Amino acid sequence: MASKIAVDKPGSFMLLNGDEAVARGAVEAGIKVAAAYPGTPSTEILEAIAEVAKPLGIYAEWSVNEIVSMAVVAGASMAGVRSIVSMKHVGLNVAADAAMTLAYTGVLGGLVIAVCDDPAMHSSQNEQDTRYFSVHSNIPLLDAGSPQEAYEMTREAFEISEKLNLPIIVRLTTRVAHGKARVKIGEFLKLARKAEFDKDGSKWVMVPSNAMRQHRILKGRLAEAGKLVNSSKHNVLDDNHKTIGIIGSGIGYYHAKSILDSEKFSWLKLGFVYPFPHELVRKFASKLEKIIVVEELRPYIEDNLRGLDVEVLGKQKLKLEEIGEFTPDTIRAALSEIGLCAEVQLPENLGLPIRPPVLCPGCPHRAFYYALNTVNQFVSCNPQKCVGCDICELACSWEKEQVFNPSKSRIRAVRLDQILNMTITCRDCKNAPCIVACPEDALSQSTETGAITVDADKCDGCGWCIEACEYGAVTLHPTTRKAIICDTCNGEPKCVEICPEGALSFLGRTTDKIVTGDIGCYTLGFVPPVNTVQTCLCMGAGISQAAGMAHAGVKDKVFAVIGDSTFFHGGMPGLLNIAYNKANVCVVILDNRIVAMTGHQPTPGSGKNAMGDDAKMMKLDEISKSLGIEQVKIVDPYDVDGTRQTIQEILDYNGPSVIISERPCPLKIPKNPAREITEKCNACGVCVTSFGCPAISLTSERAEIDATLCVGCGVCEALCPFNAIRSTE
Amino acid sequence: MKLDLIFTGVGGQGVVVLSDIFCEAALLEGFDVAKAEIHGMAQRGGSISAHVRIGDKVLSPLIETGKSDIIVGFEILETARALPMLKAKGTVLVNTKYIPPNSITQGNAKPVKPEALISLIKEKALHVHEIDGIGIAQKLGNLLVVNTVLLGAVSALPENPLKQDSFKQAIASRLKEKYINLNLQAFELGRESVLLS
Repeated sequence: MASKIAVDKPGSFMLLNGDEAVARGAVEAGIKVAAAYPGTPSTEILEAIAEVAKPLGIYAEWSVNEIVSMAVVAGASMAGVRSIVSMKHVGLNVAADAAMTLAYTGVLGGLVIAVCDDPAMHSSQNEQDTRYFSVHSNIPLLDAGSPQEAYEMTREAFEISEKLNLPIIVRLTTRVAHGKARVKIGEFLKLARKAEFDKDGSKWVMVPSNAMRQHRILKGRLAEAGKLVNSSKHNVLDDNHKTIGIIGSGIGYYHAKSILDSEKFSWLKLGFVYPFPHELVRKFASKLEKIIVVEELRPYIEDNLRGLDVEVLGKQKLKLEEIGEFTPDTIRAALSEIGLCAEVQLPENLGLPIRPPVLCPGCPHRAFYYALNTVNQFVSCNPQKCVGCDICELACSWEKEQVFNPSKSRIRAVRLDQILNMTITCRDCKNAPCIVACPEDALSQSTETGAITVDADKCDGCGWCIEACEYGAVTLHPTTRKAIICDTCNGEPKCVEICPEGALSFLGRTTDKIVTGDIGCYTLGFVPPVNTVQTCLCMGAGISQAAGMAHAGVKDKVFAVIGDSTFFHGGMPGLLNIAYNKANVCVVILDNRIVAMTGHQPTPGSGKNAMGDDAKMMKLDEISKSLGIEQVKIVDPYDVDGTRQTIQEILDYNGPSVIISERPCPLKIPKNPAREITEKCNACGVCVTSFGCPAISLTSERAEIDATLCVGCGVCEALCPFNAIRSTE
Repeated sequence: MKLDLIFTGVGGQGVVVLSDIFCEAALLEGFDVAKAEIHGMAQRGGSISAHVRIGDKVLSPLIETGKSDIIVGFEILETARALPMLKAKGTVLVNTKYIPPNSITQGNAKPVKPEALISLIKEKALHVHEIDGIGIAQKLGNLLVVNTVLLGAVSALPENPLKQDSFKQAIASRLKEKYINLNLQAFELGRESVLLS
């Protein structure tokens, strides 16, 4: 598909999305180096370039993060060749340190920074407006409103970059980057550039004395840019000699143009927006009574219109919000209020159930989360709520033996002092001392739930288990004289259900653990029924947030889950930091060997690079150990029992640790035979309401597996308490 | 000439690929084309829809509420969800496959009956074509061709201005050699399912 950006047919049309159009513009402009870190909606830029890189003599790389990619292209530019770096808006924050000073040094070979903003946050954590990064950094910016513009602007940006000796930002938004349209392409430039570095140039050494000089030079270059913008072909004035003018940038301009009667207004489409084309805008405004500004996110253009002798309608006076993206509907709603067009048709609310994004069927992250959620479950009592009513004891004896007799209960209410009550039940210890103590081998522990059961035939009532239990959770049955221990009623304890004070809870879901998250597919672990992930801030933040909580003194064990690529991107300094500063945090690296969320790009752990060549496969366990972590465990998340055991070990360990959960993304490997439900199914719902596989649904009689969705991971088969799931082969 | 279509379904069903092929076919016939789609958070299992607009000149890639000529639905609930986008007396082509959403399986929303959704679709649209895409794909022995069956069905709608050959050429340019014949068969069966209904 993307290889069409190498087609040498100038003047022909092709269907390209905005990202591919940027790639085409860059390739035509004769780039030699391209670098990026994947990030929706910018990923396809480097993907498209990498696909055609080798035959065209281009070097393309997936860098480990955005600041690395920014520095890579800075180096290429210093060596005199053209280069492009691409990222999403928040990636520019990561690369900002390099970009800010790159504006001071300037460039030699043309350098374009393609940045994709994400109004409405289709797949992002905030709604930055990169036009303001230009104001902040003094880097000129072209704002594309269609794939055609993205192509033309990118191509020309290289010329502008070399003319001004500055990097240039080409900004797209999601609707442009991931919208496809007909694009008319041009010819490949034949540049004969030799990569050479001028070692004598003090302009590359940004120590204060040099940087002061370069800052002044930068301001001079910006003044030059200020002249270009007023005559740029990307700022299009369409003067229909009317009293109302419309100024827009980005895709919002085209939404407005498609819903309004174009002839009734004068139009100004701004594409080269920083530095702001004041002269052009003054000329446009001079004949107008009213200007309507159509721009997504912040009021950048609107703020630049202050002082003009004309009424300006924009964010302040119209319902053109700073939040979210524009659609033809939102613009119609705003403009119809001042009578410029017919009213908007409001979508009828049909009251349909939503379809939230979920982890895919077979996702190894879900299996790991299930293990983390279900490790070490027991009934816990809140003494602040317990009133000592003993109803739990009655409920237990009724549930287990159909009598109301507290001495036959598996839960025991005790009085701590005159006004403080609580209850005691089995804690399902790992390597439980009661099991070790039993001379008759009568006790055993479920690897599935951790619950301990007593074999009444073997138990002789000796009482060693009662001595061994530190919690006092084992008692002797008054009539049978056998040990009795809470079995958690198969995961649905009656006492918890019946407690009138709500003092009892069934711990072991996420309630006794804190789980910080990060950016990637695994963030979807916050969706029910998984409900595991509790934070998401920015790339790599989860580990350090976890450390902060641990140092602050939270009582729960803190886990930080992070994907393999995010770990390489921004997690490694955080891991070194918890080793150095000894945080009691377990970092879980969910290693699926790929950047899954953005569409499966390779990582340093994949063994392949962007251009498909073999690469050294970095080992996460070796990296973790070399960063100072002594406790490093590897688990297979599909082995839920084994994973639980490892988690239990880590729960008992105090100090920085790492669990690496290894399984490739199922979307990139052949499917196994689908699973099916057998007649043994009694609709208990564990596979749906607890595990939450989207390929399984539940009726009142039984579960059902959709064979078109099932990938055959087999985890449901392993965790079904009734052995009611089997392979179709 | 202008035609606005919404392609909608569940992530993983092929909404993006199918709408791409439709656009490529339109491009082959010299139409201006614009398409909007969202690659959301989830790789599989979320709602996904693509707006496709073809005409002599297309400015915005997004269709306004109540102005889409056709809805092509890969899944019943998602098809119903797109209904507010449909113009009065519009056409709906729906693959009769229901995938319950997470909100229902987790008990956070009231269950819906696929039959009730089909009735809703029939109430809001003038022409409704129900296509058993999976049944047809099973006949060909490959469940992955469901979306090509739907493309064949779209090509048979009276509103469609594009030639069969353009679709076939677009299919051939998008797919691997070994899958082309299978998909051309699927395309034909999809066409028949509309023409013979």
